[in-house]
Amino acid sequence: MSESTFMGVERDQIDWSPRIDFTKCNDCMECVKFCPHQVFEVDENAKPKLKVKNPNNCVVFCRACSKTCGPDAITFPDKTETTKMIKAIRKAEKEASTDE
Amino acid sequence: MSKSICVLPCNGLDKCAGDLSRRVAMQVAQSEEVELICPVLLNQNKSRYEKALEAGDLTVIDGCNTRCASKLAGALEIPIKEKVNVSEVAKALDIKLGVEIREDQETQAVVQAVLEKINSSAADQAESEFIVPEAIEYNTFSHGKFIFKVPKANYFFNENDCWVTVSGNMARIGVSDYVQQNLSDILYVDPPEIGQEFEQFDDLGSIESGKAVFEIISPVTGTVVAVNMGLNDAPELVNESPYEKGWLVEVNLKDFEEDQDLLHDSQSYFEFLQRKVAEVDV
Repeated sequence: MSESTFMGVERDQIDWSPRIDFTKCNDCMECVKFCPHQVFEVDENAKPKLKVKNPNNCVVFCRACSKTCGPDAITFPDKTETTKMIKAIRKAEKEASTDE
Repeated sequence: MSKSICVLPCNGLDKCAGDLSRRVAMQVAQSEEVELICPVLLNQNKSRYEKALEAGDLTVIDGCNTRCASKLAGALEIPIKEKVNVSEVAKALDIKLGVEIREDQETQAVVQAVLEKINSSAADQAESEFIVPEAIEYNTFSHGKFIFKVPKANYFFNENDCWVTVSGNMARIGVSDYVQQNLSDILYVDPPEIGQEFEQFDDLGSIESGKAVFEIISPVTGTVVAVNMGLNDAPELVNESPYEKGWLVEVNLKDFEEDQDLLHDSQSYFEFLQRKVAEVDV
């Protein structure tokens, strides 16, 4: 599934998805098993096997997959910065619609 | 005599963190009230421990975030009373465990810290100042065989399906009916620490069923003043009463007006949830 907006902001305007540190990743695929939103993809023939296939499926502010990661290889963008950005976009859109 | 605590550790054979959970478990098990549960035998033959688990509360010691011991308890549907994660304790102490099994000052310090965490009773918390409303009215809608409830008023939600309801400067936080139905039977509530300061969209602990772990994403900015102690013995209250008896955290608000900018009110969440449920297979 994919929510196309988050609090009224287009999802693809919000940069929120897992970042994988492949120097730590041990291919256990716990994150893939955990995430119900098909954010990750596994390609057995590729190197690395793990890929963030659908970043916009990732639930904004959810970091739960990083907690399933034994080697601690998953990080996320800064939450405070992301919140600020979402507020700024909402404000700009509001102003744009009242200008019309 | 009947044992009153059962300890289920990580198997702890191959890596440092696992080895430490084994060491902690051995120390805890020196007390007569504690029954040590072997994860391999439990997995093979649950009935071997049935009596002990009926008589005692389960404490789980996970080595790393793969959380084999927690997952085993979840898969066998054994409610967890308390749990501790060796890697997280090490991280808080700024100690890197690495893979290799070792016995030195650092690992001894981690063992000690984990033991202290297990032994410390729940943090003292002040009497609740939150004024609970007399009766809450709900809107409902159905989707397939599911019926979803959302309070008619006075609850605010983020799009991560966590709610907040406010009384003066205090607020309570919990998860929506949608979350508890998705998770089904909740076996464990991992609360945040009393006194912890947090911002809107930080995580405030988690809840866990046999199916999944759900991270509580805070709808507001504030300080934790209390956690729902009733959930220690009855995590199922989150299933039975997600908006009332199953509240998770009580907080002191910082700036609710600011928080509301990124929250739905009850009516708007009701509409949001209907759209969401229509899109997802529940």
